[in-house]
Amino acid sequence: MKRYDLIVVGAGPSGLSAAIEAAKYGLNVAVFDENTRPGGQLFKQVHKFFGSKEHKAKIRGFQIGQDLLAEAKALGVEVILNATVTGLFQDKEITVKIADAICHYKADSIIVATGAAENTVPFAGWTLPGVMGAGAAQTLMNLHGIKPGNKILMLGSGNVGLVVGYQLLQAGCELAALVDASPKVGGYGVHAAKLARAGVPFFLSHTIVQAKGNDHVTGVEIAQVDENWKVIPASKKYFEVDTICMAVGLSPMAQLINMAGAKMETNPQKGGCVPISNAYGETSLAGVFVAGDVAGVEEASSAMIEGHIAGVSAAAYLGFIGKEEQISRYKDLESSLCKLRQGMFSLENRGKVPSTTEEGYATANNLLYQGFCTEEEVLRFPGTTKQVGVHAVIECLQNIPCNPCQEACARHCIKIGEKITSLPSVDEEKTCSGCGMCVASCSGQAIFLVDESYADGYASVTMPYEFLPLPQVGEIGWALDRSGEAVCKTEVVQVKTSPVFDHTNLLTIKVPVDKAMSARFFKGGVFHAIHK
Amino acid sequence: MTMRIENHPILGDFEKGRLVKFYCDNRELQGYEGEPVAAALRAAGILVHRHTKKNAAPRGIFCAIGRCTDCVMVIDGKANIRTCVTPLVEGMQVQTQYGTAAKSECKQGELA
Repeated sequence: MKRYDLIVVGAGPSGLSAAIEAAKYGLNVAVFDENTRPGGQLFKQVHKFFGSKEHKAKIRGFQIGQDLLAEAKALGVEVILNATVTGLFQDKEITVKIADAICHYKADSIIVATGAAENTVPFAGWTLPGVMGAGAAQTLMNLHGIKPGNKILMLGSGNVGLVVGYQLLQAGCELAALVDASPKVGGYGVHAAKLARAGVPFFLSHTIVQAKGNDHVTGVEIAQVDENWKVIPASKKYFEVDTICMAVGLSPMAQLINMAGAKMETNPQKGGCVPISNAYGETSLAGVFVAGDVAGVEEASSAMIEGHIAGVSAAAYLGFIGKEEQISRYKDLESSLCKLRQGMFSLENRGKVPSTTEEGYATANNLLYQGFCTEEEVLRFPGTTKQVGVHAVIECLQNIPCNPCQEACARHCIKIGEKITSLPSVDEEKTCSGCGMCVASCSGQAIFLVDESYADGYASVTMPYEFLPLPQVGEIGWALDRSGEAVCKTEVVQVKTSPVFDHTNLLTIKVPVDKAMSARFFKGGVFHAIHK
Repeated sequence: MTMRIENHPILGDFEKGRLVKFYCDNRELQGYEGEPVAAALRAAGILVHRHTKKNAAPRGIFCAIGRCTDCVMVIDGKANIRTCVTPLVEGMQVQTQYGTAAKSECKQGELA
């Protein structure tokens, strides 16, 4: 039986981070994963991550995955794939199903980082082919290069629904509607705004009544719900779609740690049944630690830090480092984790509707209840100024943990400050060079460059653009507003791409001056095709 | 309409194995070696992977990561194979499943 100092179960963001941390202290580490490829869900994440530099902000998820793998490999971590851990027994022995054999391995410490699984909601027809998890859609398109469908309805307005919805557009699918039973958008406003301005209609306070089709989905019926979540029959609407995606939360995959005998609790805030663990990732079983979604559903950035914490804990448990070194490293990691766990979407604020931001600005309710901000909301936040000449307009109106824009500006026009959940503000005293680094660095794609003095009677609007085909200079199309409504005809006057922009192209369009603060998206193609 | 993403704005081209032939219910199809069977089937426009024994209800891809077992089919004579995590191999014989057998091999009266 092969032995290791540490066995990590799960090669996702937390598992790999845990292995890296522990290997740095000299532990002999093996990571087992049931999948063909390591990285967990990271390789499906094509968007730029939030947070700050220390959290790998503005780097796309799949690149973070590649970095983690390279680091683990360099440290001599053994990653064993196609290996399903089926049991965790006394004295830290595990059974692993590899091909058709059951193999035994043993370690002196274990980190369980098994992640989470998608939730589902049953509705009439939900078992039809064509109804799938949002994660399934993401796997098909971003890992295997297959569109899950051509015309899709997304259920769920949390970050997963919003992000996957946007990725569906990037893959060339049509998004017929985004539906959520809640009256407000569950995820970040910036993610919702990206979909809204591209013309995706939001149906909040709506639910799916039934999926239609004999052999597979051919349509879906949705309806409004009243304050008691009951369907209002007269409000039924029908969409012809071939796919329905569900993004209705995640549940920790705690089966392994549960069967190992760890003390468990049911904690709705953590997403369901989770092992009871402390800040060091310790469970009730000595030498067995947990990290990432299995310990409580959050997101990949915090999962990576939790992985590092569990790695330090395992190293200290086995005596590879002393108590002092452990505590010192833990404190750094904890502070990094705390930064991510603040703001409007933090655990403690989940479900609450704040009346103001941390700075005292009245909440942008249109963003929260419609999925896009109004011009009035944008104008009263500190990311918009009345500068002459080209200047940044930052439509980031919620306290979310993210700050790459602050660093992106070489002229220090953008300020967030120490607390990364603070709203970005634009300093009117400083002069914007129009370089566009802030536009490309904003993971939420919420920064635009506006120049009201572009030409006589015309303004220019520069926006982030991550779709193909990339419009060409001189191309005529529609300028869409934040709700996806066409506001005027427009011409593309500049297209900037650069390796430093990392696939976020900067598209500049020319619009009449009075449309400078409403035009936020470009739609090329046939004019009469715009209905919305 | 092709379901394959030819050029992705972020990911560019997808790395694929070589193009190989395989069979679904004796129909010759093409897919890329190493990609999940389910992906190759979706690209070929096949959505129904199996029918349940009790209600003959059609099932297809649901989780795409090997968790839910909704997408199982008979592959090379073996039933209940999760197509979403099974790599495509040249010449593979894939069959629509009914209950726990190949649908095409079910006798009259066995089908609901």
